[in-house]
Amino acid sequence: MVQSKKQKYTFLAFCLLPTFILFAIFTLYPLFSGLYFSFFDWSGSSSNKEFIGFANYIKLFNDVIIPKTIIHDYFLVVTKIIGIMILAIFFAVALTQLKIKEAPFYRVVFFFPNIMSVVVIGILWTFIYNPSLGLVNSGLEFLGLEKWAKPWLGDEKWALPSLVLPAVWAGIGLFMLMLMGGIANITKSYYEAAKIDGASEWQQFWKITLPLVWPQIKVSILYIVITTLNGSFILVQVMTGGGPNNATHVMGSYLYQQAFKQYNFGYGATIGVMILVLSLITVLFLQFLMRREKVEY
Amino acid sequence: MRRSVGQILGRTGIRIPLILWSIAVLYPIFWMFLGSFKSNAEIYRNPWGWPETFSFANFSQAWTNYNIDISVFNSLIVTAIGAVLTLVLAIPTAYAIERINFRGSKMLFTLYISAMMIPMVLGWIPLFFLLNDLNLLDNVFGLAIVYAVSQLPFSIFVLTSFMSTIPKSLEESASIDGLSPYGILFKIVTPLSMSGIITVTIMNCIQFWNEYFMALIFLQTKTNYTLALAIDYISSEAQYTNAWGTLFASLVIAIVPVIILYAIFQRRIAKGMTEGAIKG
Repeated sequence: MVQSKKQKYTFLAFCLLPTFILFAIFTLYPLFSGLYFSFFDWSGSSSNKEFIGFANYIKLFNDVIIPKTIIHDYFLVVTKIIGIMILAIFFAVALTQLKIKEAPFYRVVFFFPNIMSVVVIGILWTFIYNPSLGLVNSGLEFLGLEKWAKPWLGDEKWALPSLVLPAVWAGIGLFMLMLMGGIANITKSYYEAAKIDGASEWQQFWKITLPLVWPQIKVSILYIVITTLNGSFILVQVMTGGGPNNATHVMGSYLYQQAFKQYNFGYGATIGVMILVLSLITVLFLQFLMRREKVEY
Repeated sequence: MRRSVGQILGRTGIRIPLILWSIAVLYPIFWMFLGSFKSNAEIYRNPWGWPETFSFANFSQAWTNYNIDISVFNSLIVTAIGAVLTLVLAIPTAYAIERINFRGSKMLFTLYISAMMIPMVLGWIPLFFLLNDLNLLDNVFGLAIVYAVSQLPFSIFVLTSFMSTIPKSLEESASIDGLSPYGILFKIVTPLSMSGIITVTIMNCIQFWNEYFMALIFLQTKTNYTLALAIDYISSEAQYTNAWGTLFASLVIAIVPVIILYAIFQRRIAKGMTEGAIKG
């Protein structure tokens, strides 16, 4: 293209600068500023912002609720990975490998919860768990299992596991589609060759499908980990607010409570730094753990 | 091909979990619609059954008693401004990164993309004070800007991959015909990327329409509430007022636009979301 250097750079600046400036102001600055805030004791007004060094971090290590929130977060990560991956792999294989006529119907239905608002999902499921009106307890009564009925979200032991089901319910469709994309790319002749060799469908699944969709499985697991550690608190906030008695607090909901309910903004930022560090470590660790030779036949 | 009895049974058996999961997905949504037409007394008497009479009382209640109309309007404003602003910011950057050679273009792209994986919770505390200083706290326009910037990485990612499929020769010949780079961007590349722009915009609109947590932090007065906040408020009130019917009606109001978009753009939405996730 015939144009002078100056013209090129003016055009580049026109394209890149406004976007980058807004990105810097509303994304980069707040992140770095959050790191900086974590060294202050600050209740929100500018007059009483006091530099306290690592005091917030020492408080973090001595806060008895913090280990609970971390355990709750990783409980959700692990149970969501197991629940979503088993069901998503099963559905993806069923909808691609076994010639089911109405497969598009299932695909459309299973994906829909992925685009529902967390507020709608949360409130809907709060209702499903409602002790007197809810579907779960009514269903248990119908089956004659009244003794299992309980105030699910109000029970310290059951509140956190109860949050897994809505998360799985809402998440499956996306991962099912990702895996279906992977399966669609597997060359059909592998299956034909396996059939001729007398491999059962079960063997074909273990020896062909699973190894060849490994990249998609890996991406799915990482995606579940990232979105859970960075966003599980939204469902928690809507459904339980962290209760009963902190039984469902995750790191993000505890940050919200500390910063925006109790106005400990400095301490809130410290929790934010912890979330950042933990999610980075977890992702790096998982990438190391799941590195596996790419399978090619 | 011969099929054994076992295989045929297997084919039917495989449908059972599929059908069960379909019911698990559809029934709660269907039930939410039914609940929005029931009176409170009926919800208590028969929470999971069919309504005796279809009444729109819950919707008018939501409209008049809880000012859902204002919240719907706020959500529409935030969604529209957010989506337009995202495009204005993302299209030129995506084009420059994809088509113009300059030092640091790879780095800039990586910077935007890695922002997708960073937990933004940490940034929300300083952002709260920044918006306060800029007089944009508790302001739907402020929220729209925050939304737009938050969706920049995803939008830039999808748009660059879309623009890479446009043949370079089109731009070259336009340039020879004397079109300026600005003309190429707005008159050639933008119209040719329309499909990608539509995908990105639908995804962003759904995202902004549904968003809850940033709205919770950055909006405070009820007249500024978006729909998600209004629903949350009705839900917390319902514990005392027992206005469950009204709550269902507001959930229905929130979900109907998403259902309509999904009905029209189902393939596009599914594709947009899987592509956005695969970058991970």
